[in-house]
Amino acid sequence: MTRFVLRRLLAMIPVLLGVVLLIMVTIDLIPGDPAALMLGQGATPEMVAKLRASLDLDQPLPVRYVRYIARLLRGDLGRSVREGRRVNTEIADVWPATVQLGLAAMTLAVAIGIPVGMMSARRPYSLLDNLVRIVSLAGLSMPIFWTGIMLVVVFSLWLGWLPAGGRGSWYHLILPAVTLATPSIAMLARMTRSTMLDVLREDYIRTAQAKGVATRGVMVRHALRNALIPVVTILGLQTGQLLGGAVLTETVFAWPGIGRMLVRAIFARDYVLLQGGVLVLAVTFVMINLLVDLSYAYLDPRITYQ
Amino acid sequence: MTRARLGLLAAALALVLAAAPVSSGPAAPVRGGTLTIGRPVDAVSLDPHFETTAPGAWIYQMILEPLVTMGPDMKVRAALATAWRVMSPTRIRFTLRRDVKFHDGTPFNAAAVKFTFDRAFDPRSISRWASLAGPIKGVEVVDDFTADLVTTEPYAPLLHSAAMVFAGIVSPTAVARLGADFSRRPVGTGPFKFEEWRTNDRITVVRNDDYWGPKAHLDRIVFRVIPEESARMIALRTGEVDMVLVPAPAQLATFARDPGYTLAQATGLRVVFIGMNLTRSPLSDVRVRRALVMASNRKAILQNILEGAAGPSDGILAPGVFGYKSLGLDTLYPYDPARARALIQEAGFRPGPDGIMQRDGIPLTLTLITARGRYFKDAEIAEAYQAQLREIGVRLEISFLEWATVFTMVRAAVLDAHMFVLGWVTTTADADYTLLPMFRSDQVPPRGWNTWRYFNAEFDKLVDQARTSLSPREREELYGRAQEMIARDIMFVPFYVTKEIALMRSHVKDFVPHPIEYNQGFQYVWIQK
Repeated sequence: MTRFVLRRLLAMIPVLLGVVLLIMVTIDLIPGDPAALMLGQGATPEMVAKLRASLDLDQPLPVRYVRYIARLLRGDLGRSVREGRRVNTEIADVWPATVQLGLAAMTLAVAIGIPVGMMSARRPYSLLDNLVRIVSLAGLSMPIFWTGIMLVVVFSLWLGWLPAGGRGSWYHLILPAVTLATPSIAMLARMTRSTMLDVLREDYIRTAQAKGVATRGVMVRHALRNALIPVVTILGLQTGQLLGGAVLTETVFAWPGIGRMLVRAIFARDYVLLQGGVLVLAVTFVMINLLVDLSYAYLDPRITYQ
Repeated sequence: MTRARLGLLAAALALVLAAAPVSSGPAAPVRGGTLTIGRPVDAVSLDPHFETTAPGAWIYQMILEPLVTMGPDMKVRAALATAWRVMSPTRIRFTLRRDVKFHDGTPFNAAAVKFTFDRAFDPRSISRWASLAGPIKGVEVVDDFTADLVTTEPYAPLLHSAAMVFAGIVSPTAVARLGADFSRRPVGTGPFKFEEWRTNDRITVVRNDDYWGPKAHLDRIVFRVIPEESARMIALRTGEVDMVLVPAPAQLATFARDPGYTLAQATGLRVVFIGMNLTRSPLSDVRVRRALVMASNRKAILQNILEGAAGPSDGILAPGVFGYKSLGLDTLYPYDPARARALIQEAGFRPGPDGIMQRDGIPLTLTLITARGRYFKDAEIAEAYQAQLREIGVRLEISFLEWATVFTMVRAAVLDAHMFVLGWVTTTADADYTLLPMFRSDQVPPRGWNTWRYFNAEFDKLVDQARTSLSPREREELYGRAQEMIARDIMFVPFYVTKEIALMRSHVKDFVPHPIEYNQGFQYVWIQK
């Protein structure tokens, strides 16, 4: 087990080297010079050239890549092109907000999505099941942007119960978390329902029922645990989306997270900040997927890692 | 409750009612309270030497003060300097206030002024402000409270440069102590002090109780970032913010009718236009260019697309700029599709079978590049103009590109498009800032902003002369003649002048809108209880 984790962590290194290379090449390919953009309308070519030199922009891509990796090994993500701040600080500023929102949304998704899926699977094609399927389809289809604005209109503007945006008390977290969780709740509910339906047809379920285990016990101990593996896989993928794809939610609710930081970095061609942000997201995503893999062994004792 | 008590109560009530102002005229400012402002983007930095865009400038203009400042009437006023005298075309002498301390206790003096300018114009670091300020050499200390601002060559708009918000004097000790962190915690002499910055969320400033001048009324101003337009407007309605900057144009009329809100606006300094590339045929022909102006129904665009959120424009300069002269486009080239068609035909084009003008079998197709959302309604204007050109038989092909791409293309040595949408702010509020870099022959990209590639030696002479003349009247006259040349050779269609708009709840009093977008007057706002 320990060896497996170590091996997986080592395998992250080439993945992350590749991620950095990919970002650098992409930024290099799109037009737009960060130095010229930064200096704006009054700059002379000499000024732009000087700034380019001070930012290492006059160096060829391979040189910049090696220099960046060398700094990275010392844990230094460099300095933001536009703001001159250390990228480490910049990310430390916005990262907690994104993690808080992502965790809240994931908790909601699990706490609502899985039980709803189970209830739905228990009596397929019942009124409840049909309702769940229709509502979850709607949840999946509504654009996050629209859901967010609608929630703000109802709960902030009309009812005045919750703040319309910003980060502060727990109240501020409710609307963005619900908005961000909506598609995930729907996804998990549908996924849980369909895998549960498969599992419930298995012989061992009939055995459990025959020997007199209460319905609740059958559903939770026998069926759910076996149905969870595909659900956990989806959950892992969804978490990546929650962390990275929170840009829209962060925008609607003025939530100061990493998504908005990345968008700003793209428009300013702030490639150092962008590299740092994407790298942090990539690491998170890889780590989450490692956790998902490890959870398989816990859910299904037949799976072992060496 | 006894009768006597009731009587007492009634008497008290009557007293209270009598004392309460019955919707009286201007009330006296009340001290205290917090003003919360919603705006679309966070500041990049609060260091005036490196951040010259409004989101940062709005805040540091209250923390840092320049020697002189530009009033809402666009006249230069005293700030940290009590008086100034133009000694020569390359030198202005400032007499400084003696009773001023920075927020960290450091005394303000000529050395601090010198320190500030040395820092901004340090050739080893590139300050953004330096690229806007002109040929400034630096500051020479005459005595403790007298300082000379010196340029390398005669530069008449120098006082305007000194009055820019970016010229705010910084505390030398704070810069030494904080280093790069100064950009996150600026220390100056202004009526407000920096308190807190939560990235992408909010920046807070608090009243400076030791301010040398009239002290602010508010305890605190909070600038919140609310990127989404409708969310920003909702926050205003729910009272989470008291004021919104860059409000949704479509909702302005509704709010303006509502007595619960106040709309404040000033005509800004940015002109948004469609420029023409003179190096590309057939735009090298002035008849075609004139036709392209006559084909534009600018009034309709102003009414139907900008919906009152911007003002009419008649030139490359905004009316508030020193040296502005109306080009008289509405009389020179009034909206007249028939005359425009005639002009195009004069240039050798004939209508083709599909209605598109053609010459030697080649249809008159022009390319235009624009960003979407870089300037207010830029893409919508381009599309409306496309339809208007169609009326005179000109096909316009629009490429919607990201702003960074448009920027790179117009600044390249060769511009690969006939037309482009661009906006330009006369940041110093002096015509020199626009007429020289945008029209002088040597300012063709990549050097300057002569994006139309206009070559006119006579014009060059006028702007050079105006840059060195010490007589404001002569300068105005020279700029007037320069603008007449521009009108004659016309190479752009101006669509609007920006308005600086703030929308607030009506308990917010004495906000002063300013033509310069950076100088918005939050300082002396007070909140009616």
